Amino acid sequence: MPLHILLPLVVLGIAGIAVLLHLIGWSKPATLADDAAAKRAWLEEFPDDPPKRVVLSHDHHAALIETEKGHGVVWPMGADTTARYLTDAKISRTGKGLRIDLPDYTAPRIHLTLDAEEANQWPSLMEHPA
Amino acid sequence: MTDQITFPDVVSWAVPFFIAAILIEVLWIAMKGKGGRYETRDAVTSLIMGAGNVASGLLLGFIAYGFFMVLWALTPLDLGTSWWVIAVCFVLDDLRYYWVHRFGHRIRWVWASHVNHHSSQHYNLTTALRQTWTGTFTFMMIVRSPLILLGFHPAMVLFCGGLNLIYQFWIHTEAIGKMPKWFEAVMNTPSHHRVHHGRNARYLDANYAGVFIVWDKLFGTYVPELEEEKPDYGLVHNLGTFNPIRVAFHEWVGIFKDATQPGITWRDRLNYCVMPPGWSHDGSRDTSEEIKRKYLAHHPEKRGTPGF
Repeated sequence: MPLHILLPLVVLGIAGIAVLLHLIGWSKPATLADDAAAKRAWLEEFPDDPPKRVVLSHDHHAALIETEKGHGVVWPMGADTTARYLTDAKISRTGKGLRIDLPDYTAPRIHLTLDAEEANQWPSLMEHPA
Repeated sequence: MTDQITFPDVVSWAVPFFIAAILIEVLWIAMKGKGGRYETRDAVTSLIMGAGNVASGLLLGFIAYGFFMVLWALTPLDLGTSWWVIAVCFVLDDLRYYWVHRFGHRIRWVWASHVNHHSSQHYNLTTALRQTWTGTFTFMMIVRSPLILLGFHPAMVLFCGGLNLIYQFWIHTEAIGKMPKWFEAVMNTPSHHRVHHGRNARYLDANYAGVFIVWDKLFGTYVPELEEEKPDYGLVHNLGTFNPIRVAFHEWVGIFKDATQPGITWRDRLNYCVMPPGWSHDGSRDTSEEIKRKYLAHHPEKRGTPGF
């Protein structure tokens, strides 16, 4: 197919599908129903490291996890979730919660939406065991 | 020796069909409330990966094609372009696909290119287009050498490869359950390929087929989709980013970091490149064999069932 046809087709196709999906309502982030759901989400990534403690965010979109090996977070990846340990993480406050910078090419930056109380508490929870 | 043969670039001509089929699947799921899942950023990432794959083909395709034309100049054989030669070429190229795909899951250097296709936690028609940008660097074009040397023209071989990829598009869906038994027995289907995309211990390293599932049955890698165990899509360790650059290159970065770390032997450095994904010099990570072994330790009753 000639490039002058292929290029606009691809660009408009991607844009059109993105707009359609968003309008249908398929842009909502994953929700963790309860502590058990957060635990399951963690175990999907780290099946050998069962959580000792789970702190679910008030909006149910993220969870702070503590295991024998340390602290980690579960957070939404679109309609699904993923999780990482917070080893060598740099944590900073943002207007909407916390920003976590990790030395991890596959998850370099995590933005957690937290209320003011959580944003104040979580950094210390991430550093100290329960 | 015929060297001025041209075949259509079927993949780019299929782009309107890809877009139309995705729209139909989206509307089907939206109306029926079943048959799969979509998420905006995941789908956009997949589509950008697809566009990037076409772009990388335009930019780097000359390397593989140049290599094939050198082989074509060397071989004394020329099978021509009759329909039966194209049909045989299609079948043999599918066998080639099976092995390249198997290498893609068992050799980390090749996995570094293929991993992005498995990096979505969704399984829909956009996942089919989440294709590599770095296939040229795997050197897997070498696996096509026998076909060229046997007398199949490079343009025909690439044409068959394009048809193979187009066939595989429609099997990336949850909207289709199972096809008729005779079809499931011979052809790769949505059911067989869902297994391939599963991160469940049972489904790891299974169903490498492109078009004909018979290769998996022949080489012992076939695992059926079980009613009682729905595939859980994605990677063993899922990505924490939708950034297409990171999706495309993350495993190459991982290889670089692992192979250049201080305090390991040159053999370890090489092994980080060529051993199966999950291999590590100190055993601190899990390969698919180890994941299956650990799973069976917790579920001994599953031993001997498909995939174990």
